[in-house]
Amino acid sequence: MARRYDSRTTIFSPEGRLYQVEYAMEAISHAGQAIGVLAADGVVLASEKKITSKLLETGGSSEKTYKIDDHICSAVAGITADANLLINYCRRTAQSYLLRYNQPMPVEQLLQNVCDLKQGYTQYGGLRPFGASFVFAGWDEHFGFQLYQSDPSGNYGGWKATAIGSNSSAAQSILKTDWKEGMPINDAIQLTVKVMAKTLDSTTLNSEKLEFATLTREDGRVKLHI
Amino acid sequence: DPYCFALKMSILQYNGGSVIAMTGKNCVGIACDRRFGVQQLTLAGDFDKVFKINDKLFLGLPGLATDMQTLHEKLRYRVNMYRLREERDVSPKVFAKMVSSILYEHRWGPYFTEPVIGGLEGDKPFVCSMDLIGCPMVTDDFVVSGSSNESLLGICESLYIPDQSPEDLFETLSQCLLNAMDRDCISGWGATVHIITTTGVTSRNLRTRQD
Repeated sequence: MARRYDSRTTIFSPEGRLYQVEYAMEAISHAGQAIGVLAADGVVLASEKKITSKLLETGGSSEKTYKIDDHICSAVAGITADANLLINYCRRTAQSYLLRYNQPMPVEQLLQNVCDLKQGYTQYGGLRPFGASFVFAGWDEHFGFQLYQSDPSGNYGGWKATAIGSNSSAAQSILKTDWKEGMPINDAIQLTVKVMAKTLDSTTLNSEKLEFATLTREDGRVKLHI
Repeated sequence: DPYCFALKMSILQYNGGSVIAMTGKNCVGIACDRRFGVQQLTLAGDFDKVFKINDKLFLGLPGLATDMQTLHEKLRYRVNMYRLREERDVSPKVFAKMVSSILYEHRWGPYFTEPVIGGLEGDKPFVCSMDLIGCPMVTDDFVVSGSSNESLLGICESLYIPDQSPEDLFETLSQCLLNAMDRDCISGWGATVHIITTTGVTSRNLRTRQD
């Protein structure tokens, strides 16, 4: 029954669902995990690198974590090619805001902008949605440290701690019990490591498989360390 | 009415200002005056015309103030995107080409500014100036631009010594700028000098004649 309605993204199913969007989310649930935790003095992003072959040339770039601007960074789960496109879009958007207003772009505005783009792919054009979810971490002077999650449907939400990718519901429930209001950044890092250790597919946890990013403020300037 | 009059002058002389860049031994100096004015009226003495692009690269933008600000902001956009994508700082040569391209894109409605670029390519000094439509000129000694550029050229030719140390370069550069500024009524009101070496940048403000 479902098959008849899933060939076009721009059509609802009789039950009122958008199948292409749901299939996109299904694709992401097979991808490497990404977790974000909001602390009192910063934000932590941790990601699991799925491909760790010895032959893979890692160079200096990260596979899952990207800097968007000096005050915003993002971890990705899903189809890397789709994510790269969106990351570039985010970077250009943040820079045009800076060009126009001479101020760093507020984090939520960036989210709205990129989510509007994603939503467009669920309503117009007959193109498939982006197969990537993001966890954004940022700081701005209006709302301080912030953590957001966005998915292929174009929905986004502000979170205190969240997980995307494989085993994200398991990770989310651990985060729910263990996250505390006002925890310092080091505790947040410990928490992400603990959650990853419990929810990762492989039995052993080593530094090769994980990518971390912390966003803090020092001397009034945002510091981003990937 | 004897109290309000406008002078007929070139658009590049409307705000006034001068910039100079000079090479030394594994170091580069770049300096500018600090006047902001509208024709003969001076409005501020803290308007720097040299901007930091990265730790080893500075850009001087004399000429029309509005174009200088807009060009600086556009270049900031481009340099930020470059740094995010390439995960490294932009080099002076590449940056010079970037500035030149942007200026030529506006070939028929140009930005009224004639930039000067000073930086270190590795540890070798690099200076470059260009006209308002982007024609670059790379030299190995010094480049000048702005309303007092003829005086600057003259005094640099006389005072320049190749391969100076950072301290000597600072003295030479400052003297060139100061004396040329004194011969130009629309440059002056203070000066800022940056000396870029492989270990860091030293910036100093000079006390000058406030006229």
